Amino acid sequence: MPYPEQLVAPMRAELTSAGVRELRTAGEVDTWFAEKQGTSLLLVNSVCGCAAGSARPAVKLAINGSRKPDRVATVFAGQDVEATARARALIGDVPPSSPSIALLKDGELVHFVPRHLIEGQSAEVIAGELAAAFNQHC
Amino acid sequence: MGTFHDDKGALHGITVYAQAGDTVYVGRCDTLDDQRLVLHDADLHVEGQDGRTVDQYLQRSARFGIWKKHDTLIVPVAGLGPVRPLGELVRGGGAAAAPEATTTATAAAPAPAAASAAAAVAAASDAVSLTPGAAQEVRRLLVAEQRDGQGLRLGVAGGGCSGLVYKVEFDTRRDGDLVVPQDGFDVYLDRKSAIYLRGITVDHQAGLGGRGFQFRNPNATNTCGCGESFAV
Repeated sequence: MPYPEQLVAPMRAELTSAGVRELRTAGEVDTWFAEKQGTSLLLVNSVCGCAAGSARPAVKLAINGSRKPDRVATVFAGQDVEATARARALIGDVPPSSPSIALLKDGELVHFVPRHLIEGQSAEVIAGELAAAFNQHC
Repeated sequence: MGTFHDDKGALHGITVYAQAGDTVYVGRCDTLDDQRLVLHDADLHVEGQDGRTVDQYLQRSARFGIWKKHDTLIVPVAGLGPVRPLGELVRGGGAAAAPEATTTATAAAPAPAAASAAAAVAAASDAVSLTPGAAQEVRRLLVAEQRDGQGLRLGVAGGGCSGLVYKVEFDTRRDGDLVVPQDGFDVYLDRKSAIYLRGITVDHQAGLGGRGFQFRNPNATNTCGCGESFAV
């Protein structure tokens, strides 16, 4: 059951205010994934405070670096259910996980950060690991 | 970090793994205390299942996560190895990456082997107890029988009029044993026996009217008159 929108609105805004595009519908997800050229980062957002609370600022920090994906988007697990399910189907053969971060290159998954690699980590640590992945793939 | 519920332990909310025998359990830790590990969004893997070893399963799970098969799994702590964050298998067990569990079952240590040994000792520390009389009798027998370096092994085996019988013998420590330190010797329990012996008190009654070593087992639902056989 989705949380009240007024509760999750700040969690959406934390990303959209940093230039992350939010995909709210399955159609928006299909359109975003249809553009395969280049590098794309997708954050599966979550209300989970202990993991998503680090994942959101981590993505914001990472995309402020000199090397970064061409496009950055997010879906909100548990809130935008159809969009999230569609995104998970298109990411690749990895278990559903929220929050999680997927980096794709030319439409193929090249780096994946599942929830358990976010839990208990600071935003700076996660951002550093994302930056390393950006340096390799972007 | 990682929890809004301090009463549920440092691993609450963290995806963990723990092994018992040939089975490994992976899931998001809800509760870890001296009785049980409660996992949500969990999976388990038995050695050789789907053609993969436990190690192969863990390596892939650590990299990509698990496909949830169970909403909740409740695993008895007795017989369970150390409970560790799954992420450690990717990042290593540094302090920043590894919240230390505060329960007796998950004392953290820097090296995996040491962690396993320390956890085995800690997990067993509340598993069995000996009365002063029983401990004194064990010490006397160890000296009398010249069993240097040995300890007391407690176990269970099938048999007896109530289904299970206690086993008591002097022995050295074996791999996988739970260890309960005593004054002057150690008590050893294999992990399967520990499930049945958790909370047991061993007493000793000496003298002509005494009955030797006696067992008070909170897990037993039925015992026979001799006190050497029980059911759970």
